[in-house]
Amino acid sequence: MTVRQVLEAERPPGAAVTPPWWGLVPPGGELATGEAASASGTEARILAGALACIARYGVAKTTLDDIAREAGCSRATVYRYVGGKEELLTRLVRAEATRIGREVMAAASAAQDLTEALVAMAVTAARALLGHEALRFVLAHEPEAVLSFIAFEGGDRFLARCADALAPTFARFVGPQHAGRVAEWCTRVLLAYLTPYDAVPLDLTDPDDARRLISAFVLPGVARLAASPAPDARTPTTT
Amino acid sequence: MTDEGARPGFARTQRILEAAYVCVARFGLAKTTIEDVAKAAGVSRASVYRAFPGGREDLLRRTVVWEMDRFFRDLAAAVSGAPDFATLLETGLRFARRAVREHAVLQKVLVTEPERLLPLLTTEQHRPLRYITGYLRPFLDREQQAGRLHPGVDPSLAADYLARMLLSLITSPGRWGELDDPAAVRSLVEHELLGGILPAEAPGGEPGWAAGPPRM
Repeated sequence: MTVRQVLEAERPPGAAVTPPWWGLVPPGGELATGEAASASGTEARILAGALACIARYGVAKTTLDDIAREAGCSRATVYRYVGGKEELLTRLVRAEATRIGREVMAAASAAQDLTEALVAMAVTAARALLGHEALRFVLAHEPEAVLSFIAFEGGDRFLARCADALAPTFARFVGPQHAGRVAEWCTRVLLAYLTPYDAVPLDLTDPDDARRLISAFVLPGVARLAASPAPDARTPTTT
Repeated sequence: MTDEGARPGFARTQRILEAAYVCVARFGLAKTTIEDVAKAAGVSRASVYRAFPGGREDLLRRTVVWEMDRFFRDLAAAVSGAPDFATLLETGLRFARRAVREHAVLQKVLVTEPERLLPLLTTEQHRPLRYITGYLRPFLDREQQAGRLHPGVDPSLAADYLARMLLSLITSPGRWGELDDPAAVRSLVEHELLGGILPAEAPGGEPGWAAGPPRM
């Protein structure tokens, strides 16, 4: 069972609704199920153990025994709480995506203006993703698992999903008319600066660098858009 | 190209790369063997190994790079002669997206073997980024010299921003559909791409602003 298979199991082909694996937060705010929050202490420990194992051995080589040892419980307990490896990985991906999505949303919602919201989102996303040891291992050694979901058509779906989740936040600052377009663009900017393998001239974990990027290149375009008289009806949303 | 062309063995390497590309188109990445490529190129297996000492993986990676090079040369040719910078970006976006969409081999392998192709494309991602930044930088410098760049904009950061965002749009256009609506693409270029870099101006072009020959 690879991460890729888990993610695909999580994403029914052609699903138009927000698929659960990149759960983020539905428009309106609260999480529908609160998967991660409701995890029992034992389940949380098992998921944390799985993350530690993946950071060390990768997905393919991690066994349920490794996870049980790491979590300080028996293999039977792992089965009882989270099922087999497939189910465990599904829950893990969902819990992590939800956790990071929630952190990014929370960072934005506390901000007073668009600049602060964007800087906070950028720094939060950068720290969560670049400091994520399990994700870093998978990107370095099993990258196909993640890439299918952020490149080409996977990238289209990822952008649409994040833009849907973030649009209400952006509507506060740019109005509902441009919220979807701005939300997608900002997600795209973060994705373009947080993808692996290329030398990035700005370190988004640093608020000064994040502010530099956002105030130099992102905000002026958004301001010009917000000031434009004609509605931008020409940008269809894709699903 | 001319000085490379003079190098001994260059023509043979090109022929092998071309053959490898044809084999990938026909058999896919996983099933293409050195044997197939040697046969298609009309050379011996030893010749293939001499040109690509890393063997099959080396050859496949270099084939992807070779095809990327061709893609960006075509793109540079397509945008040359644009009357102004905004038009250059618009033309480039629309051409590049169409080229990605109509690239039969890329689209086929993306469907049949994404798990093999995506890591190859991604580990070579610095190349298109370098191409695009290298191509755009002289234009941005020229805008700066002409006093048109927004005050305080660093041309090198601007070229990097544009390259990243163009690459993202070309591969995953998202809400922009197929980037084939000229009015939508113009709006995208004027707002998201150039909003912080150049003042909005009426289309029509700068006098004497010809995009000039591609610099790669």
